[in-house]
Amino acid sequence: MNAQFKKGVLELCVLVLLDRKDCYGYEMVDEISKNISISEGTIYPLLRRLKKENLVSSYLKESQDGPPRKYYRITELGKEKKENLVAEWDTFSAAVSNLLNYKTEMGD
Amino acid sequence: MNKEEYLKKLSKKIKKVSIDDKKDILSDYEEHFRIGMENGRTEEEIAEALGNPDNLAKQIRADYMVKKAEDKPSPTSIIEAVAAVAGLGLFNILVAVPSLLLAVVIISLVLAGSAVIVLGILITLSPLLHVFLPNLVYLPINGGILGTLLLVVCGIAVTVMGIIFVLFMSYIANKLYKVVINLLKSNIKDIKEKTEVFK
Repeated sequence: MNAQFKKGVLELCVLVLLDRKDCYGYEMVDEISKNISISEGTIYPLLRRLKKENLVSSYLKESQDGPPRKYYRITELGKEKKENLVAEWDTFSAAVSNLLNYKTEMGD
Repeated sequence: MNKEEYLKKLSKKIKKVSIDDKKDILSDYEEHFRIGMENGRTEEEIAEALGNPDNLAKQIRADYMVKKAEDKPSPTSIIEAVAAVAGLGLFNILVAVPSLLLAVVIISLVLAGSAVIVLGILITLSPLLHVFLPNLVYLPINGGILGTLLLVVCGIAVTVMGIIFVLFMSYIANKLYKVVINLLKSNIKDIKEKTEVFK
């Protein structure tokens, strides 16, 4: 898949996941790579960028399994951004489906 | 590649990133390895899934340098950012080539102007130099007070022209420098959006 395209989608996925609940990095990678094939390492630079842009914040939380983990939380600004991205995605994917269906009908 | 090899390789390639940021970045990947292993994956599997550490390092470097150039725009920070981004192979050649050419042209013109000033000073002083070094200094106009006067006047004129030229070029260079920096900055912003690399 086109890298530019996937990049935007990764940001959307991360914000959507964090809007449901706070997550640590591995958790998000795990969730996303179930569905989309990504280079797992790229999520951390993305998270750093989102943090710099104040879309997410991070904190350390104890875990039963060992040392504390770094959790990420979505900010109000991040929620706004998520809404915008979801709306953009819906418009975009509806437009593409429309186009694909139209093409099939023409083919028939 | 195991965990230690992977982290070592990554750490080596992000030397230029400030120590605090570097620690932070490496601890993210350490945590990733740790949790992956708790989930029953081997170090090698995790390293493989993380992706090539060289590519990751390039991306981290570019992010870091661009951020630095944005926060503190200076010729050095901008050149570093451009170099880091060029390492990703994403740099827009339509911006890079004209910027560099402009810089070279400006520098050459300022140098040429400086040479003119030196020449003017030498012409002005040539009658005097001729007295001290008759074998080394050849006078284009020979003869008496009138010739000497002519040389001195010409020399001063050339010097003044050179100075005006250099001042003018410095002024233009200053303006162009700002244009070039803005060009690079807009290109870097553009690139920033492309820096997350996928399989």
